[in-house]
Amino acid sequence: MSEDRVAGDRPVPRPPRGHRSVPHTGDLAVEAWAPTREECIAEAVQGMVRSFADIPDPAAGTPRDGEVTADTDAQLLAAVLEDVIYRMDTAGELPADVSVRPTPDGVHVRYTMTGTETVTQIGAVPKAVALHGLRLAQEPQESRDPLTPREWVCHVTLDV
Amino acid sequence: MDIRLAEEGRWRFRIDRTDGMRVPGAVLAPRELLPDEPGDKSLEQVANVATLPGIIRASYAMPDIHWGYGFPIGGVAATDPAAGGVISPGGVGFDISCGVRLLTADLDRAALLPRLPELMDRLDPLIPRGLGKGALWHLKGRSELFELLLGGARYAVKRGHGVPRDLERCEDRGAVDDADPSQISERALERGAGQVGSLGSANHFLEVQVVDEVYDKDCARAFGFREGQICVMIHCGSRGLGHQICGDHVRVMDGVMRRYDIHVPDRQLACAPVDSPEGRDYLGAMAAAANFARANRHILADAARGVFKAVTGSGLDLVYDVSHNLAKLETREVDGTRRLLCVHRKGATRALPPGHPDLPDDLAAAGQPVLVPGTMGTASYVMTGVAGNEAFDSCCHGAGRVWSRHRAHREMTGRQLRADMRDAGVAMKPISWRSVIEEAPGAYKDVEAVVVASEHNGLGRVVARLVPLGVLKG
Repeated sequence: MSEDRVAGDRPVPRPPRGHRSVPHTGDLAVEAWAPTREECIAEAVQGMVRSFADIPDPAAGTPRDGEVTADTDAQLLAAVLEDVIYRMDTAGELPADVSVRPTPDGVHVRYTMTGTETVTQIGAVPKAVALHGLRLAQEPQESRDPLTPREWVCHVTLDV
Repeated sequence: MDIRLAEEGRWRFRIDRTDGMRVPGAVLAPRELLPDEPGDKSLEQVANVATLPGIIRASYAMPDIHWGYGFPIGGVAATDPAAGGVISPGGVGFDISCGVRLLTADLDRAALLPRLPELMDRLDPLIPRGLGKGALWHLKGRSELFELLLGGARYAVKRGHGVPRDLERCEDRGAVDDADPSQISERALERGAGQVGSLGSANHFLEVQVVDEVYDKDCARAFGFREGQICVMIHCGSRGLGHQICGDHVRVMDGVMRRYDIHVPDRQLACAPVDSPEGRDYLGAMAAAANFARANRHILADAARGVFKAVTGSGLDLVYDVSHNLAKLETREVDGTRRLLCVHRKGATRALPPGHPDLPDDLAAAGQPVLVPGTMGTASYVMTGVAGNEAFDSCCHGAGRVWSRHRAHREMTGRQLRADMRDAGVAMKPISWRSVIEEAPGAYKDVEAVVVASEHNGLGRVVARLVPLGVLKG
């Protein structure tokens, strides 16, 4: 997973963490990767938000905290993304920045929120997280250098 | 799942039974309308739906089929509750009772055109859409939200919005019975409370259109429009409330399926027997969301009516309001016996034939109007239901996407789209030109090919073609 972009014949290593949107006919699919589960979730949040919102000043914003729990890692990813959608719909806020840390039952999420009225819409707005193809997992070790830490990867489809 | 696709003449394909399929797939589309984007899984989804317990006859795909999750968009499946048939929230979709409403003005194109700029300028700031808060109806607390979830458009009329005739021309006369708001989560209620009277984003719109051509004058007369007449078409659904309900109940069913010994090839097909606590709970919540969606379209239409009256002197009369994401318990004849079925339509429109008892008296001879939005730069169609529809009286619901949103951005720029719309004579009021690129006409199938294929497959008959003059997009 860490050398999946190729320029000419030369593999180009990708950054240790990041996100990208993936083509889907009807809706929006996001992939993210990072060294830890929590960073991967944070990248997925950024991937979702940046797909439809251009946030002018990511440094400014209001801190908000939330606790999210779930039975599985994939459900945890879905629950955090749903939390962002819920806050957008009910409070008119979007995360300009987000950090995630583990708790015994899930994660603690700290958002730096900005009002949706300050944001430029650049794509269709997501409204729900699908279970179809939902995945958050640590990449298998066997395909990697044993000295390199395994990365976390996720895939999620969002209804717009 | 391994797909065995077999052509059955010019207009349709069959997916033969393999693996766990209980019935075949019936793809009611010619080759040129089959999905062809790399990685598209919509035909596999037709086959997956055929594995649902209690499904009868076939897993159907309408001509506008495209890739969804769980069900394809344009998927129709009927299950028999008496034979363990299931209800699947994924067979309704996230946007419960998303649908289309068509209204007519007593105006022709020549009378409107001088007023169109003012009309669009006044609709633009009035109609809430796109990212952010904002809605036309500010409900008085939770009790009024519950009234709306039980009464739908009927409650809106009772509170002075719109006129009683609006209910006669709305599916189920404005409200689905058996809504149960107690099965709706707090989060869903919170999301819906501030969104009654808002369009949303993506493919939702409010368009000013003109009837460009009428193919069936008797039907058009019964529906209430004529060639050259100005119309308003509104496409939207149940907003955050419906999406939250779908997500909540999919999770519940995902957790209990094994208890019912149900196994599905895609978790988004999570389901439970119609006659189970989880099935009944979902049906009650779904009905409430359907009522929310009808009230939502009703309020938007009533606001547009006020602007039309102020700018042109003409009000707006409702032609019909259809839902194209819904499951309904309907009685149908199957193998010579009358059976109560749970008919899932996800991206498909109910299309009742002439003489059906659920039609209002003034539409009994014509059949049910089927509203088929195309694209903001081409055309939309009105069809009518016909007798002998094998897909449980279902028809197409739109053009159907062919491009991913990525591809739309590769193929089109905001500048080019703006020029194309201007050349097509369409006054656009998007929230964002960058966002609306994803809805470029080229991103969709040819809607004319879709309605022609629908006719050839006995799903409906074309009545009229409408073309856009002004478009509001979120």
